[in-house]
Amino acid sequence: MSSLVQARNVSKSFGETKAIDNVSFDIEGGRITGLIGPNGAGKTTLLKAVLGLTDCAGSLSVLGLDPFRQRKELMQNICFIADVAVLPRWIRVSQMLDFVEAVHPRFSRKAAEDLLLQTKVSANAKVRQLSKGMVTQLHLSIIMAIDAKLLILDEPTLGLDIIFRKEFYGNLLGDYFDGERTIIITTHQIEEIENLLTDVMFINDGRLVLNSTMDALPEQYSELMTSGANTDKARELGPFYERKVFGKTVLTFEGVNRDKLSAFGELRTPDIADLFVAKVKGVAQ
Amino acid sequence: MIANQIALVRREFWEHRSLYIVPAVLGVVLVLVAITGRASISAFDTHVDLALLGATNISANERGAAITAFLAVFAGLFVFEMLILTVFYSLDTLYAERKDKSVLFWRSMPVTDAETVISKLITALVLIPLVTLAIVAATHLIILVVTSIWIGLRGANVWHLIWSSVPLLDNWSATLIFVLSISLWLSPFVGWFLLVSAYTKRSPMLIAILPILLLPMLERSILGSRLLFDAIIVRVVRIPIFNSGEYDSMLNSQSLTEAAHDGISLVSMLDVGGFLASPGLWAGLVVCGLFVTAAIYVRRFSGDT
Repeated sequence: MSSLVQARNVSKSFGETKAIDNVSFDIEGGRITGLIGPNGAGKTTLLKAVLGLTDCAGSLSVLGLDPFRQRKELMQNICFIADVAVLPRWIRVSQMLDFVEAVHPRFSRKAAEDLLLQTKVSANAKVRQLSKGMVTQLHLSIIMAIDAKLLILDEPTLGLDIIFRKEFYGNLLGDYFDGERTIIITTHQIEEIENLLTDVMFINDGRLVLNSTMDALPEQYSELMTSGANTDKARELGPFYERKVFGKTVLTFEGVNRDKLSAFGELRTPDIADLFVAKVKGVAQ
Repeated sequence: MIANQIALVRREFWEHRSLYIVPAVLGVVLVLVAITGRASISAFDTHVDLALLGATNISANERGAAITAFLAVFAGLFVFEMLILTVFYSLDTLYAERKDKSVLFWRSMPVTDAETVISKLITALVLIPLVTLAIVAATHLIILVVTSIWIGLRGANVWHLIWSSVPLLDNWSATLIFVLSISLWLSPFVGWFLLVSAYTKRSPMLIAILPILLLPMLERSILGSRLLFDAIIVRVVRIPIFNSGEYDSMLNSQSLTEAAHDGISLVSMLDVGGFLASPGLWAGLVVCGLFVTAAIYVRRFSGDT
């Protein structure tokens, strides 16, 4: 199967600043990819490029289309939630459904109405009368009623409470994801989506610093907790990041055999958040 | 394409409810003014009040002319309101969607930026005039019905006095021609307002109006010429649709008096052929097209910030 998203040497500058710097990657169909990076790393710019909302240098193909030049065709097969606040505040829920039904060939009004029945969002309400969580529910109900090949979520749960966030991801996995659809998601709450992902990409300063399947991470990365004389011996094996925890030293390795490492201390697979910090800070060290 | 346009234009009326509320409120006010007898006009140097029509001793043609003049004044107020509404609408429409960030949602739908901006242009140039016409017609009808009841209760022949003497269809056709013509004539302004609305980060009104006022003044004081003055200021006050070429001829008492003798027709006062043949109209449409194209591009690149 060919890639759903194919990026080759994609760059985007704002004046002197390079928001995206020569990024290349592939995203296959049926995957859930987490795009993770600190503020200002270029995540949103990269997603905007994928969505055809901004032009960029290099070659970028999404569903075989040039996103910036064929945005309309692209939007028939892509959905996105950019931020919880983007639904127009003056619109009525029923008007919203009318509009999407009129312009979107893949939207099922019935499906959206069924989803909304499970919420407290009433068809007569205006968006400005809804709580932040309800607006997200409305947006998500619309998005999930669109039979799209690619769903892009940029900080979809920003500002929502933990109960709602859990519910959101539960719905996403339970109702929406069927193994054929593809999802790209960015969030700061990495721990909450860790178990959802099949793939993960780290972006920092506009560069891709990690691009891996979740399954490959344990083979590739390991974290060694060590102390005393073992620390120096382990350091010879070339960790790319080092931190102190309770007087012990934690070394993060990439591509180093686990059997070699286990002689020097406690070995484990770093979780995504730790790995992210190691990758981002390790470059600086 | 057409289906999208219908959905998009409908959307404009959901968002900008002032497009029909403002003329409707004006209609209600004018109806109240008319039926309380506070509205009157002076045609034929005679004080004419709708309520007095039943008692005046004039011929059917003259009565038709009097009522038409009365109704045309009301229509004129609606045209004035329509122009103000169009300015506010076209300055707000692309600005508001960026301000509340809903532009990201709209652009997540399979609709091109060109389709969206054109739907706003169509709303400004065609839909606002059509709504204006509809409310003008409704206001006319309500005023005439109320007047009919008032006169009828006093035993006069309402059909003879009012309905058979007023050329309503002619009035409304003239109104339709006029509102559409003035929209097309002033379309470069609408295009400019849409561009400012798509571009500016703040104060669209100020940024749109200042150059319109300042540039002609600067040109006159620095270069001594008045090209911009003619192209901008004169354009606003002189639309080449009247047979005699002047705005106020429509209502001046002489032409009304002449018309009154052989039956009044507002349509016959309009020179549609001459208007469509005027280079100024087509030059204006080209300028409007350029501004709108620029607005489409600005919206396309608006994600670049």
